[in-house]
Amino acid sequence: MRFGFTADQRELAVAVREILTSELTPEVRASGAEASGRRGPVWKALSEAGVFGLLVPEEHGGLGLNELDSVLVLEELGLAAAPGPVAETAFVCAPLLSDRPGFADGAVAAVAAEAGGYLPDADVADVLIVLEGEQARVIAAGGELTGQPTVDPSRPLFTLPAASGEPLDGGAALRDRAVLASAAQLVGASQHLLDAAVEYAKTRKQFGREIGSFQALKHQLADLMLDVEFARPLVYRAAYSLAEGKSTASRDVSAAKVNAAQAAEHAARTAIQVHGAIGYTDELDLQYWLKRVWWLVPSWGDAIAHRARVAAAVIDAGATMRTP
Amino acid sequence: MDLTLTPQEESFRAAAREWLEAHVPAKPLASLDTQEGFEAHRVWEHELHAGGWAVVSWPEEYGGKSASLVEWLIFEEEYYRVGAPRRVGQNGIFLLAPTIFEFGSEEQQKRILPRMANGDEIWSQAWSEPGAGSDLAAIRSTASKVDGGWVLNGQKTWSTRAVFADWAFGLFRSDPEAPRHAGLTYYLFPLSAKGVTVRPIRQLDGEAGFAEVFCDDVFVPDQDVLGVPGSGWKVAMSTTGSERGLTLRSPGRFMASTDRLAALCREGDRVDPTLRADVAQAWIDAEAYRLYTFGTVGRMLAGESVGAESSLNKLFWSELDIDITQTALRLLGPRGVLGADAPDAEGQWLADFLFALAGPIYAGTNEIQRNVVAERVLKLPKGA
Repeated sequence: MRFGFTADQRELAVAVREILTSELTPEVRASGAEASGRRGPVWKALSEAGVFGLLVPEEHGGLGLNELDSVLVLEELGLAAAPGPVAETAFVCAPLLSDRPGFADGAVAAVAAEAGGYLPDADVADVLIVLEGEQARVIAAGGELTGQPTVDPSRPLFTLPAASGEPLDGGAALRDRAVLASAAQLVGASQHLLDAAVEYAKTRKQFGREIGSFQALKHQLADLMLDVEFARPLVYRAAYSLAEGKSTASRDVSAAKVNAAQAAEHAARTAIQVHGAIGYTDELDLQYWLKRVWWLVPSWGDAIAHRARVAAAVIDAGATMRTP
Repeated sequence: MDLTLTPQEESFRAAAREWLEAHVPAKPLASLDTQEGFEAHRVWEHELHAGGWAVVSWPEEYGGKSASLVEWLIFEEEYYRVGAPRRVGQNGIFLLAPTIFEFGSEEQQKRILPRMANGDEIWSQAWSEPGAGSDLAAIRSTASKVDGGWVLNGQKTWSTRAVFADWAFGLFRSDPEAPRHAGLTYYLFPLSAKGVTVRPIRQLDGEAGFAEVFCDDVFVPDQDVLGVPGSGWKVAMSTTGSERGLTLRSPGRFMASTDRLAALCREGDRVDPTLRADVAQAWIDAEAYRLYTFGTVGRMLAGESVGAESSLNKLFWSELDIDITQTALRLLGPRGVLGADAPDAEGQWLADFLFALAGPIYAGTNEIQRNVVAERVLKLPKGA
């Protein structure tokens, strides 16, 4: 029994963090989705680091790794609120399409959504996957997309007229990976919001002292840390269950999404409150993480939907076994 | 990452399960906060010890099995799964013993630990005072040096099961001139000693689970000082690390209770989406606690210390325990307030709920734990 990561798995995440720290400058971020998304320097650097080939088999030029090897990378993408369909391409879609050219090196981008749902960053994607129940269909880009302006300029959303596409196997697994990807990014984003709020509380002064010395703020921040710390292990475990093909994988990704979504909503709320009025402006970069959270929480099912999935497994099916 | 168990760990689990299923009393024992129940639980401790299962993580020479941390977690899972009796000796076994292993002399370890392990000596904590609760360093009970030992005076309170227990471990002010954290010493004394008076205090459930302990010129020989005189605060903080960290509330307890909660919901006649969501959330949180504990075990095996992060642990399990038991009471509706001996009662949920309510108070209130997390983990500035 070992609940931790190998040196290789941690080093991969560190490499991604270094790229995101050096390439995703405030200027790149502020320049908008198209420039900083898949056509920008961040996408290029992540391609060179092999991020897009993580789940692509070696015979197709990828690294042939699994969900567990990649989950820390997803967390980093959330920690940085990285723009562009990176997680969607590399993690959600690539395993279904990896025999097609361009997936191992980030030459193509792909996004996915539930039928009738919103496709993020579809304007920069080459391939769209729509999931109806457990049936995935692939739709070539270039169709008629309708832009749906949102609160978050760094994550544009689109709808697609009902279109029939080529059926693909692996829809259920795609959904589980999409849920895990949203949960892992939410944990990363929550950690950033906690860090930012703590940092602000240590420097901002009122009544002649740092506001972080007041117990009312201390307890808010401690409670937030509690939520983040007890969401993260569920995410890691879900990645393990997917990588190992465990029978409980769907239940486990749902459990991860429940606590990750709750932690993230809590993080967004607390970060604004701790920052006060400046937290309510778009002059502060904090907004990118807040808005990423508000998008990721409902995407691929919110906490309510996933709690119901866990209830069905644990209460109705009696699937209470912890480690199959 | 690998959540599977080794063949050795699997056979440890099988042996624990086999023994427990053969020995756990079919009928629940009387409450351990009554004289009759206390003695019945002591008999159970004797039986556990005779089977070799009382203190699995201790070395063999003190009655243990030298079990690894993972094996200890497995034993706890099995213990709670089968619904075995509460551990009447837990304050000694889980709180004092780790401190004795760390600070006790060899003589103390050899003298004290075997009799703690077999249940002959049940220990009670004598820390809090009427004026020293969360502010533990405000202790005013005194210890004065005399020839061959110390003389204790003062009043302790909220001492769990001191009415029936044999020994107490307590903090006393041994140097009134020293700064308040530096003048404390950790003493061990029998509750039958001359000058000790114990007054029971009934808890919310009506039973004498608490006591006040009055010390009037109680002589304690030098051999019953734990650690160096004046180092009581440091020794005590080691105990709180055990209290808040791994040993007090193992994941097995919450895994078993959330599985029972899921069964209660499945079999009950009250179907409501909100209640189902609460049951699922409790189950998820128990799973989160189990996995978080695996992470802690991994860090400990790598030689890292847990430190102030144990406060996160304590916050989480104490809130979770209330969530679980309160959800059970909601599922039961009006039956939830029935005592376990009522004809219509279903299980121990009310008793478990009342017990859970104490969680955010004992072992350092949750307000203190939030301060610890904020100041020592998040490094926020100290308050006024």
